[in-house]
Amino acid sequence: MPDGGELPDGGELPDGGELPDGNSLASSPGGERRGECESPLGLPVEAPEPEPSEEPPSSTAGRDESWTADHDSATRDDTPALGTRGGPASWRRAIEGRAVALARPAWGDAGWSYLFGRDTNYAAVEPDPGEVEAASLRMRSETTPEPVHGPVIHAPVWTWEVPLYFWFGGVASGASFAALAADIAGDHASARVARKVSMAAVLPAPVLLIADLGRPGRFLNMLRIFKPRSPMNVGAWCLTAFSGAGAGAVAADLVGAPRTGRALGAAQALLGSYLGSYTGVLLATTAVPVWARSRVFLGPIFICTATATGAAATRLTLAAAGQAEDHPTHVALSRIEAGAILAELTLSALNERRLGRAGEALAHGTPGRLSRAAKTLVGGGLVLPLIARGRARRPAQNLASVLYLAGGLAFRLAWVEAGKASAHDDEAVALMARAKLTPDESLRVGTEQRAVSEDRPPLADSGPLHAVREWSATIGRASLFVERLISRVR
Amino acid sequence: MSATVAAPTELAIHRGGARRMGFFTDTTTCIGCKACEVACKQWNDLPADGSQFKKGGSYDHTGELSASTWRHVRFVELLEPSPPLQQEALGALRASSGALPAIPAAGELRGSSGALPAIPAAGELPDLIAMAEDVGSKWVFMSDVCKHCTNAGCLDACPTGALIRTEYETVVLQADVCNGCGYCVPACPFGVVDRDPIDGRAGKCTLCYDRLEDGLEPACAKACPTDSIQFGPYEELVAQAERRVGELHRRGLDGAYLYGAGDEPEHELAGGLGAFFLLTEAPERYGLPAEADSPVQENLFAATAAALGAGLLAAAAAALTFAISRRGRGIA
Repeated sequence: MPDGGELPDGGELPDGGELPDGNSLASSPGGERRGECESPLGLPVEAPEPEPSEEPPSSTAGRDESWTADHDSATRDDTPALGTRGGPASWRRAIEGRAVALARPAWGDAGWSYLFGRDTNYAAVEPDPGEVEAASLRMRSETTPEPVHGPVIHAPVWTWEVPLYFWFGGVASGASFAALAADIAGDHASARVARKVSMAAVLPAPVLLIADLGRPGRFLNMLRIFKPRSPMNVGAWCLTAFSGAGAGAVAADLVGAPRTGRALGAAQALLGSYLGSYTGVLLATTAVPVWARSRVFLGPIFICTATATGAAATRLTLAAAGQAEDHPTHVALSRIEAGAILAELTLSALNERRLGRAGEALAHGTPGRLSRAAKTLVGGGLVLPLIARGRARRPAQNLASVLYLAGGLAFRLAWVEAGKASAHDDEAVALMARAKLTPDESLRVGTEQRAVSEDRPPLADSGPLHAVREWSATIGRASLFVERLISRVR
Repeated sequence: MSATVAAPTELAIHRGGARRMGFFTDTTTCIGCKACEVACKQWNDLPADGSQFKKGGSYDHTGELSASTWRHVRFVELLEPSPPLQQEALGALRASSGALPAIPAAGELRGSSGALPAIPAAGELPDLIAMAEDVGSKWVFMSDVCKHCTNAGCLDACPTGALIRTEYETVVLQADVCNGCGYCVPACPFGVVDRDPIDGRAGKCTLCYDRLEDGLEPACAKACPTDSIQFGPYEELVAQAERRVGELHRRGLDGAYLYGAGDEPEHELAGGLGAFFLLTEAPERYGLPAEADSPVQENLFAATAAALGAGLLAAAAAALTFAISRRGRGIA
């Protein structure tokens, strides 16, 4: 609209169509009138048949599909108003150093409107002490939950890369446990193999994590700060340290420095105890009911899967290298596989029993199928070595390890998919908020003590903090540089 | 009540003398015009949402808050009128042969004598308003927005430090730092922040941080024609909102309550919401949780303790199994 906000002379609409009468604004774009207007007011006496395209859908089914269809890059114009897409916007004040037009001290432009006149009685009554608190508490706790008009929370946006990363990370940390155990038991040859398995399993991890980012070029920003509160940040540091220790250990093994290799392997296993379990913490610290309500079980369940799959991958590698079937390391690894899977199944069963309503996300649909497939696979792995006799024992044992690896992947996929289903379950989210989701809601604890912001000490600009800031700034700049580099190559 | 509260370990901008600023969204004066959505999109250069109805059974083009929609006017349809009552209303309209008296145009309102024209006596017309009230059908609107929580789940989860606390105690995403990891999305208990499928980064309301820095009120509050969205210093807004609740209670609207402000510390939502609301229905009606806190602060300690303990136990159990297997075989 040009300045002044007037239509061009003649009152023509921008597309050239004229207004035949006052009512045509209510007509459909084709010009046909909907329904007959007989009353002087134009009220339709007969209920008009609405155009199908103008009726809201009767259910939310297919909403996400239409949503993404609306949001593909071909139809959406994302040309920025200032600057170029992805680049910084450039803007210059009309008069340098001067406040912008309309700005008033202390946001005086937000002054109270006519609502607050003396004659409106907009907010005229000082409430009784406790009245406001009581009203809020009544509506938020005493009334029964109404039908939920969702969506309440957003579903996780993670795709297949994340559960696959969980699986690879789990195999790597499980293999690092096997390496440490073999070292302690004195079987250094097997330990060296286990460390190589661990290193090979951790190699795809960063690739998968970077592929899942919305802005993969900025992956370095994961190490921009150290933030103990964010499991993803600590996980990224842990993955870096784990890979570093693993690479060092493998290199030491190759150049013939066994003591260094063993020491780095031990450090790797220690880091692995977090790398294999933090993924459970990552899921538990969200608002997704099935994840949040499994918070003390997710880490242990995930580390069990990690231990089993890591041991399985190590044993298969050792078997391929020709290790004898009755070698103690071989026997120990099969026992670890079976023991870890049994612990996993026990913990899962316990958790599913107490999850109540939240457990539905794990029982139905895609996550339900994945979860049942995982249990069938690992169940087969448990049974096979027991029933195999004679010459069938060795292939049965190997097949069992393959089944554990496949079952472990299905478990990872099931948990991530269950989170998406659970986030879409508006009723479960609402029930969790009302502490009515699982029978043991007393697990919910209060949050930390908060500090008044004025009491927060201002960051000193010298000493170690200065170095920390320099690190953040450098990593941030490097991230943007890498991103620009990638876009230029493309 | 301490209004400027935040966790001591957060990444924050410090500035002496800055106060906590916030939104008070009074749903009783919202008319559902969506001017706030438009103003927000225009100021923040956000793409349109398309013109399809997004939410099942609702005349809502927007659907939900997302990375490209930072204000969303929720249309909450309550108790659709039942078909028999609808027929009754239409029947009554037909009985009067559709001949409702013409409503005088503005210029004709006062006759030559200057007096108002006579209002038709009650009984001549079907009392449509009373009928609508009997049916109980209501349409309530709520302009939803980022709550700028005191305990912000997104801020706790963010691994890159892209989400920070500003000097106004609001939560702002630094678009040049965000790498689109998506962790803030499920960490928000209110379903506010989201990752843009095209842009790749997360996006959410900044409480117009850029406008605040320049002394302008946020675009949505500026555009709101009924002042349903009010902007100001947090304490002043809370006091105003509490008086509004008192006024509405006095008028008989007992269901009016504040969502996110004025609560006792143990019942606060996420430690108190920087953008709080006056609602008249149960929170679930608006797609809001009845209770919420930062899921990171709620679960991190217990989950990490269990996970790390289990991890160390698993490593130890592996070593133990090796020792047992070796001894059982008797191989040195």
